[in-house]
Amino acid sequence: MESYSRRWFLGAGATTLISAAGLTACGSGSGSGGSGGTITAMVYGDDAVKIQTAQVNRFNASAAAKKAKGKIKLQKIPASDYPAKLRTAMGSPNAPDVFFNWGGGSIKAYQEANQLIDLTDTIQSDAVLKAGFLPNVLAAGSLKGKMYGIPMRGTQPVILFYNKTLFAEHKLQAPTTWDQLLDINAKLKKAKITPFALGGADIWPELMWLEYLVDRIGGPQVFDKIKNGDSSGWGDPAVLKAAETVKQLIDDGAFGKGYSSVSYNNHGASAAFAKGKAAMHLMGSWEFSTLLGIFPDFAKKDVGWCAFPKYEGGSGDIRNVVGNPNNYWSVNARVSNKDAAIAFLRDCASEAYTKDLIANGDVPTTTIAAGMLDSSPNPEFAKYQYQMVQQAPAFTLSWDQAVDPSWQTPMLTEINKLFVGKSTPTQFVAALKGLK
Amino acid sequence: MSHDTLRRPRPVKTTGRPSAARTAGRRRHWTRRPNPLAGIGSVLWLAVVIVPIYAMISSSLTHQDKALGKNALVPPTDPTFDNYNTVLHNGFGHLLLNTVIVAAAVVAIVLVLCIPLSYVAVRSRTFWSGAAFRLFLLGVAIPAQAVVVPLYLMIAKLNLYDSLLAVILPTAAFAMPVSVLILTGTLRDISEEMYEAMALDGASTTRMLFQLVIPMTKGGISTVVIYSSLQAWNGFLFPLIFTQSDGPRVLTLGLFNYVSQFGVNIPALLASVVLSGIPIFAVYLVARRALVGGLMGVGGK
Amino acid sequence: MSSSATARTKGRPGGGVRTGRPHAAWVLPGVLFFTFFAVAPMVLALYLSFTKWNGLGDPQPVGLANWQKLIHDPRLTQSLTVTVLLTVVSWAFQTVLSLLLGVWAAGRQRNRAVLSAIFFVPFLLSSTAISLLFYALLDPNFGIIHGDTLGTTSGAFLAIVFVGGWQFIPFHTLIYQGGARQIPEVLYQAAAIDGAGRYRQFFSITLPQLRNTATTSSVLMIVGSLTYFETVLILTQGGPGTDTAILPYLMYESGFKSYDLGYASAIASFLVVAATALSLVLVKLSGFGNMRSTREGM
Repeated sequence: MESYSRRWFLGAGATTLISAAGLTACGSGSGSGGSGGTITAMVYGDDAVKIQTAQVNRFNASAAAKKAKGKIKLQKIPASDYPAKLRTAMGSPNAPDVFFNWGGGSIKAYQEANQLIDLTDTIQSDAVLKAGFLPNVLAAGSLKGKMYGIPMRGTQPVILFYNKTLFAEHKLQAPTTWDQLLDINAKLKKAKITPFALGGADIWPELMWLEYLVDRIGGPQVFDKIKNGDSSGWGDPAVLKAAETVKQLIDDGAFGKGYSSVSYNNHGASAAFAKGKAAMHLMGSWEFSTLLGIFPDFAKKDVGWCAFPKYEGGSGDIRNVVGNPNNYWSVNARVSNKDAAIAFLRDCASEAYTKDLIANGDVPTTTIAAGMLDSSPNPEFAKYQYQMVQQAPAFTLSWDQAVDPSWQTPMLTEINKLFVGKSTPTQFVAALKGLK
Repeated sequence: MSHDTLRRPRPVKTTGRPSAARTAGRRRHWTRRPNPLAGIGSVLWLAVVIVPIYAMISSSLTHQDKALGKNALVPPTDPTFDNYNTVLHNGFGHLLLNTVIVAAAVVAIVLVLCIPLSYVAVRSRTFWSGAAFRLFLLGVAIPAQAVVVPLYLMIAKLNLYDSLLAVILPTAAFAMPVSVLILTGTLRDISEEMYEAMALDGASTTRMLFQLVIPMTKGGISTVVIYSSLQAWNGFLFPLIFTQSDGPRVLTLGLFNYVSQFGVNIPALLASVVLSGIPIFAVYLVARRALVGGLMGVGGK
Repeated sequence: MSSSATARTKGRPGGGVRTGRPHAAWVLPGVLFFTFFAVAPMVLALYLSFTKWNGLGDPQPVGLANWQKLIHDPRLTQSLTVTVLLTVVSWAFQTVLSLLLGVWAAGRQRNRAVLSAIFFVPFLLSSTAISLLFYALLDPNFGIIHGDTLGTTSGAFLAIVFVGGWQFIPFHTLIYQGGARQIPEVLYQAAAIDGAGRYRQFFSITLPQLRNTATTSSVLMIVGSLTYFETVLILTQGGPGTDTAILPYLMYESGFKSYDLGYASAIASFLVVAATALSLVLVKLSGFGNMRSTREGM
């Protein structure tokens, strides 16, 4: 009896273990080094991921894939959770071979842990990769002078949008200098119109103002120093000046009153802009497609766009751009089939892929895109963005993506405090200099 | 002290029912009078329960383009099942299957480990069995959140990352303390005489386990089954941190992911919430008495 | 409590085996499993709290750095306050309503049975599903409350309390219902003879008789309020600012948003110590350790 039951227990235990092992096998079959040279590509799973799905299907059937004896398996990670998932995956044995990122700070930790393949030589020696992309966008994905990423989606510069109809009514012109901007600001306030829409509840729209002001006042090298982890860079006079300028705008009522509870994510700021309550909106280029989606008439008839104005006495070029130069594919140093990975990256410069992106309303940063933008749903706006990016002497990555992730939350918190008046420009600078 | 009579479960339980039935007639004298305050209160609470559920169902039947800016309390003019279609075509069945597998495995592990453990904790008087019981007692309040970081490290090293096992094993471990408490609670009610009677028949401890302990603790076991399967069904943090791909994704995580997948498509999001509740709702309809009875057991008999 | 039983066994040496005393080794599988997946991680968390680790490569020892940072972190004080406040307010909210609803539902009228069955429905949804439901219903552009509920500190806090209550009140109502049905009817009959009205009966009989039920329910509530993590993650993300960042959320954010897993482990270790202390107190108060023989004495 005793032995019988003991066996029953062991048996039950073993059955559990066996079935459990089966679960592991079917659950983690997608790990790196999978069957037949198949490699995994981890991607940000928002709406636009359909373009990458199509790309992978096309690539897997292509001659290039056969030659490299490899296929790509796409792993879509829900957007809100992507950076955290990438980190946990990269720290596990199931790390992806190729993965989506924002360049800059988003890959710094992986580079430091020797988890990235340095693509500099590969790009230099490969005609398709070398000539395939806008050089400044390719450079924006680099870290300490080395290339780690290939641009793979559309560019997203931050643009000053304005309401053409309102501007015409009040006889205003798009500003090219800061003084003109202040002048417009004064006139709009007199007409009881909020000069700028601002989704302050999300904080990152506030960040855009500082990004541009620091660039226009002190040039792109001010943030370059900060981005490399040197917190003394926040002590640059340009940062203080930019914070003071922001403070003046706020005190001046440039963003109206309730901006800190207006959210961009739920379209609150876009609605204020579209309904004529606010005359301008500093926002990423995606704002145009957002407006097309919810307020199509307004987007088609009334929306104008221009570069962030020049700051008198500042050293930044008016052609400098901030925002997201592009998203990138980077390659894991432990990749099981490097040939397949490189062949896949080369596809990002292809005509077919560029065409898909353009049809989706994106502005790809491939060199061939220049001649294909007529097929965009909004050719005029697409061409404006492309030229803006192409001609930019410097394209600064959004600060929250560029800095080390450990700085991200405290930096945004400090910016929020500055915008809601809980800290002064001097306190703001002091707090940021204290980041470790 | 008539200690043993008090501890004997049968008499206590059986006297429970007849006495309730007997007193039901007499009880009527004070419940017959209407209680207006309680009446109003219960209707108010009914509204609190019903309104969100109603808004959820009505919104999930609304066309997406009509949902924005519409009051969720107004019923949709032309109801649609499109949102349900969208969700069902986004791998809902797979999520459900994974969740069922996780729940079944967690229940199996918890039962296999906790029944002998509780048996020993109640029946054995050695130092070690007491220590084991106290270990689980302390474990009751340990929040699972507190160990995700080290567990992540262990799971990555064990090569379990991104598998259902990575969810099952820790979920089962964290369901154990309360399960042991529930089981020891019911086990105490088996009287000494019953063990003695079986011992006289020459039964081994193993036979006692299967022929006395398990049949006599059915109530506790069903409570443990319900408790641990609910833990698995509701589990969110472990799947969030320990899995990444579609393969081992469970329902709760799938729901969370629909937020970014459907973006502002709130009707589809709510349709997925409704769908996620249907399986348990079905269980509730079929076995309400068992479910409710089992849950009462979590709170003590 | 069980002293008489123990004494009796001791009086019969060797009786243990004959009367079905299983070998202590039977606890081993369960204890080993629990130790490996629950106790060992706690020890490992303590070790990790003395290291710097960003999730890649191996943790590097840094001594007391994380603990020093923790002591001086203003977010910890805020987080502790919010956690305690949330626990206390949720407990009060849920206890009052569950008690009233439970006693009400203990009545055996048909309408009460039907309503009780409906009241139970929220508990059938997972915390994630419920949080998502209210996330949608509180959306200013969509839901039933067209205001900035989650954008204000008190609004966000009360939303979490309400959502937690909406989910768990059905469960605790059930516990109180069970407790109320066990109150001997004679007590009410005696009180009725003394001329006590319904409300006096409630305060002088029902409430005192439900003492043990209340303890059990409260223990589960207090332990359970640490699991509001999902609700916070989905509804408020700890916001506005860091005003609703309860301890588990603070840990999650440090670990999986800032990738400071060493620091997150320090917070986790703190949480374990706090929770263990809490459970010791609760076990003492509730008499769980005595195997719930308290009620039998009544």
